[in-house]
Amino acid sequence: MPFAGFNMPINYKTGIINEHKNVRNHSGIFDVSHMGQILIENNESYLHKLEKYIPLQLNKLIKNRSHYSFLLNKDGGVIDDLIVSNIDIKDKSYLYIVYNASRKKEDEEIFISCAPNAEKIYNKNCLFAIQGPDSINVLKNIIDIPNNMNFFDILISKYNNNEIIVSRSGYTGEDGFELSIPNESAENLITHLLKNENTMLCGLGSRDSLRLEAGLSLYGHELNENITPIEAGLSWALDKERLEDENLNGNKVLSDQLKNKLSNKKIGLISTSKSMLRDGMTLFDNNNNEIGKITSGCFSPNLNKSIAIGYIISEFNTDNPIFCEIRKKLELVKINNLPFVKKNYKKNGSIYE
Amino acid sequence: MGAYMSEKKYTKDHEWVSIENEIATIGISNHAQDSLGDIVFIELPSVGNSVKAKDEICVVESVKAASDIYAPIDGEIIEVNNNLENDAAIINQDAENKGWIFKMKISDSNQYSELMSEDEYKQFLEQ
Repeated sequence: MPFAGFNMPINYKTGIINEHKNVRNHSGIFDVSHMGQILIENNESYLHKLEKYIPLQLNKLIKNRSHYSFLLNKDGGVIDDLIVSNIDIKDKSYLYIVYNASRKKEDEEIFISCAPNAEKIYNKNCLFAIQGPDSINVLKNIIDIPNNMNFFDILISKYNNNEIIVSRSGYTGEDGFELSIPNESAENLITHLLKNENTMLCGLGSRDSLRLEAGLSLYGHELNENITPIEAGLSWALDKERLEDENLNGNKVLSDQLKNKLSNKKIGLISTSKSMLRDGMTLFDNNNNEIGKITSGCFSPNLNKSIAIGYIISEFNTDNPIFCEIRKKLELVKINNLPFVKKNYKKNGSIYE
Repeated sequence: MGAYMSEKKYTKDHEWVSIENEIATIGISNHAQDSLGDIVFIELPSVGNSVKAKDEICVVESVKAASDIYAPIDGEIIEVNNNLENDAAIINQDAENKGWIFKMKISDSNQYSELMSEDEYKQFLEQ
């Protein structure tokens, strides 16, 4: 199916549910080469300009660590969500940023305006994610992985004499790694990994159901330019000191939102019947008043029910029943805390030096 | 006089129909189940309903999408496959046999003869 200008598989031959379970129980490999990858020289003036958009203290990022963050617009809305890491490549210090394929144009306009010599590397490097509890065992036979590597640690390793960027991360709620590898060695690496019987190629379908079970937001669904990270329930990812900084886009809006009540809140929902909850469905209270919308929905293979993430108005008391309109009928849905399935990350370190 | 079992015919909406003694059995084609992927739920039609060809009468939900099932010909729904209620994945395993969805008493057998034969359906898929 077409996805952000790429032709991407929804699933491979065994189907979405099987791929999903294989990631939860063993491991699975996702080709995410469509995503944006850029290297920005770690220089004071570039970092200062980027800090207008990124709510982190970029000059204080610990080497070999990654951070979930955003590009923010003037109103604090999310232009994109991304992972920013501080790494050295050939003795030079860089910010390595991975961002959404669907937002390349908007993001790169900002990156290039802040750092004219920023280097997009996604045309010469593939990006693969290997996810699931067995990922470490599948990978460590092939690539050097230090025992003390934690979730969101990142380093340069070698495969076939090529330098590859290895980060312990992913978007499934499981332990796993992302590998940025030069195109010429990419096929070899995948073939090599797939020799392990406990892994398999996985498509966009299971990637979506895995991230949804893990309660993770997806750009274009839970996140867009009209939603701030705070409204999306992601204030943990904001550096609170930066909210006092006039240089940060939308800093006033964001600090006000932190102090005051929001108009909407993000919730997790589970279907009480076998019907599927899907993106765009409308939510009602028991008096038929519209109270919100679903932004992502899928079948959860772990819970054997449909699950969803959505936004409802803050004043709605969640002890009251919620109904979802499914094919012109109202069906009762239940609130469920996010995530739906516990995350299994290898423990986190701190953010700054 | 033995029971008369017709050849299986197909619609452009990827349903199959076979007729025995004026009773039509309907399901979705093997090609349809394959494109839908894992089927997790089916909303079965109501027994006793009279329907016209092209009416939306029930819904199949897969992990990818919800798809309407249309009545292939005019008639009355007389039976549904209740096994699918607990295990809709039967359609993935055996779409054109155990995965049948409903039976109807048909009123116009001409509508049936206008549907595609298996070969014609194969050609239709290749277009």
